[in-house]
Amino acid sequence: MRALRVAAVAIASATTACVVIGLLEVAGVLPRPPDDIPDAIIPFVAIAVLTPTAVGLLIALRRPRNLIAWLMLVGALLVASEPVDLLVSQGWALQTGRATWPMLYAWPIAITYVFPNGQLLSRRWRWVAGAGATCFLGFMTVAMLDTEPFDTPYESVPNPVAGNPAAEWVSTSKLGLVWIPLWLGILATLFAGALAMRLRLRRSTGIERLQTMWLAWAAALIPLGLVLCAASWTFFGFVEVLVFPFLLVMQATIAISVGVAVTRYRLYTIERLVNRTVVYALVTFVLLGTYAAVTVGLGVAVGGGSAWVTALATLAVAVAFRPLRARVQDVVDRRFSRARYDGVRRVRAFEQEVRDGRRAPETIGEVLAAALGDPRAELLFWLPASETYADSSGELVPSLPLDGRASSEIERDDARTAVLLHAPELLERRDLLDGVLDAAALSVEIARLRVELRLQLAEVAASRERIVEAGYEERRRLERDLHDGAQQRLVSLGVHIRRLQRTLPRSASILSPALDQIVDEVGAAIADLRQIAAGVRPARLDDGLAAALRDLARSAPVPVEVEAPGERVAASVEAAAYYVACEALTNAVKHAAATRVAVRAARENGSLLVTVSDDGVGGAVARRGSGLAGLRDRVAAHGGSLEIVSPHGEGTRIEVTLPCGS
Amino acid sequence: MRLVIAEDAALLREGLAGLLEDAGHAVVARVGEADSLLAVVAEHQPELAIVDVRMPPTYEDEGMRAAVEIRRSYPETAVLVLSQHVESRHAVELVGSGGGFGYLLKDRVLDVDAFLDAVDRVAGGGSALDPEVVKHLLLPPHEDDALAALTPREREVLGLMAEGKTNAGIARQLWLTEKTVETHVSSILGKLGLPLDGDTHRRVLAVVTYLRKSSPTY
Repeated sequence: MRALRVAAVAIASATTACVVIGLLEVAGVLPRPPDDIPDAIIPFVAIAVLTPTAVGLLIALRRPRNLIAWLMLVGALLVASEPVDLLVSQGWALQTGRATWPMLYAWPIAITYVFPNGQLLSRRWRWVAGAGATCFLGFMTVAMLDTEPFDTPYESVPNPVAGNPAAEWVSTSKLGLVWIPLWLGILATLFAGALAMRLRLRRSTGIERLQTMWLAWAAALIPLGLVLCAASWTFFGFVEVLVFPFLLVMQATIAISVGVAVTRYRLYTIERLVNRTVVYALVTFVLLGTYAAVTVGLGVAVGGGSAWVTALATLAVAVAFRPLRARVQDVVDRRFSRARYDGVRRVRAFEQEVRDGRRAPETIGEVLAAALGDPRAELLFWLPASETYADSSGELVPSLPLDGRASSEIERDDARTAVLLHAPELLERRDLLDGVLDAAALSVEIARLRVELRLQLAEVAASRERIVEAGYEERRRLERDLHDGAQQRLVSLGVHIRRLQRTLPRSASILSPALDQIVDEVGAAIADLRQIAAGVRPARLDDGLAAALRDLARSAPVPVEVEAPGERVAASVEAAAYYVACEALTNAVKHAAATRVAVRAARENGSLLVTVSDDGVGGAVARRGSGLAGLRDRVAAHGGSLEIVSPHGEGTRIEVTLPCGS
Repeated sequence: MRLVIAEDAALLREGLAGLLEDAGHAVVARVGEADSLLAVVAEHQPELAIVDVRMPPTYEDEGMRAAVEIRRSYPETAVLVLSQHVESRHAVELVGSGGGFGYLLKDRVLDVDAFLDAVDRVAGGGSALDPEVVKHLLLPPHEDDALAALTPREREVLGLMAEGKTNAGIARQLWLTEKTVETHVSSILGKLGLPLDGDTHRRVLAVVTYLRKSSPTY
């Protein structure tokens, strides 16, 4: 193991040394023949070589027995060794240059056979791999024995194998044509590699599948490179220098995706990456087609290649880009990410339904569950004020009920709005999950705000009710204190005076009338206190609303008709009804000049309905700060409503509805 | 007469006891809350228990509930309930349900003679209903035709009857002869359709029951 690691470091060092030599040649420190590879390509070479070296070294140090590491290390070294050839002779450099180009493809293709575990799919694949290697080696060997002179501008450079009898024999005999089947064999390795990846994708699940997808995404560049090379060769007779950067970027890209797959960093973004790649490839293809069609079409019509034609073609492409991209994205989503496409569409349909008022925003949780195909998915809204979650009905959820589910936070403008509990498998379908959650972010925020608002309103209503209750409780306490405190003491005082009076000696009987007077005063004080206590809270409320209302009617200066149920409701509701009647009665007598008042209380559908009507002047309104406005607040605190019907000259009718449970 | 007092305000309790003892009664036990009241009644079997409505621990209606319990478990013990204010329809119900029960506001004690009279009456199997309660029972008259048919004097007499007073007591209070009172009583009972019975106690029960029926809040 240690030896393997040392070897890996040695190869990586050699590759780096080659790169340094190449850079020194470019810098002019080392001799370099003119008109070789253009200087601009050198940085690409450096990247193309150092990236797989770095990734290969990383894997080799961790898993020295994994074949992938060695394929990358050796492959990169072979590509990098090119500048070293120049140190031998310009002839050998040119000869290896035109013979060893398949090395650029060899290691990436080899990796597709053994990724991600470093082993072939089965024993049978040994034959495929062996045949592939034979084709590569054979092709390069035959190419090395090519005695043809070099192309311009190197026709003056002597071919180092010219004159070699073996090479001459290979080049002149029919054996020279053997490169054709070998070349076809190389192409076949490409298809075999694609097949291997396809089988792996089909057989694997979870992480391994994502890893394979990463490589498959990058490996798609290999055939593209071959096609470009072939096209260049066909059209120009040589491989255009502009194709080189592409080939080199391909190497780096494959190395990077292998790195991603192995380190698992940002592994989950692959689905979106594939999606975007397909979209942009298609868009590019269609745009190029449009450009070509416009140029050719107008060129034929107008004649010649005018600047106008180019401008119009460019314009057509520019105009087409955005709608085309959206359209292609849609098609690709539908074709390649069906679940995501359907999920997002479901969310959009829901938004439309909310806009039309056909659905409540709070049902977004059910929509997400349906869109993600996870019936156990549950959406919980975040309440920043109380730092807790709540479900759509406003029930607080102190701790996340995970229950074997994974959780994904939903954010909007970097602020947490909700959390979705869902099946853990969805984490591997990041594309679907993120797509649907992104689409639903606004709906979720709206639903969250509504839940929050409803909770706050409920809290306000509850606190208002508590305050009113506390008010009643306070009155009750005060009434108690008056009766059981001061009043009791006065009675006690009176009793003592009476005892004193009755035990006076006959000689002191002259004091008796004075004591009688004092006791009368005490009695009057007791009566006063009783009246005050009754004003604070009529003790008769203990006997029920009907009893209290009748007492109220008796003490009124005008005839008051009372109709009230004998059955009891909650004490606080009875008190509220009593004060309503009190205030309305006072208004009727004081402001409306009424001569008759009727007070009616009745139970109706779980509410206590209190109606106070008079025959006064009418025109009553609940002005701010008036008794009626106070009444309305008091009634509202109980969750009830107050209605005033008071046309001028036709009396006033005040209707109050107080909820009182069942 | 042997009696017990249940009243949580010590000063008033002692004052009351003093008044009653001055009048020659024997106060055999004085307690401050309802549970010990039941215990001392069981122990002494007194002729009368004077009971405050509100007592510890909740100051709600412990006294009233204890009174009901005493009347049920110890029929030989009469109960006079004292209250700070007119607060319970149970009072009327109890007075109407049989003799040996009284309900008075506390400050009635200050009219010592009337109070002692009521004590005697209740202990003797009669009734005592506070005038304030009776006033509520008699109003409003327009709801009952028969009550409306009474003359003012007859209404006055009816009220005193409801308070539990005897003919002699009524005559004394109204400065009438007993004979006149008897005439009024016969007239009232006739108008209300009640039996002309000589027994004062049963007469009171009939009157209170009648008034309670005609007044929906009691």
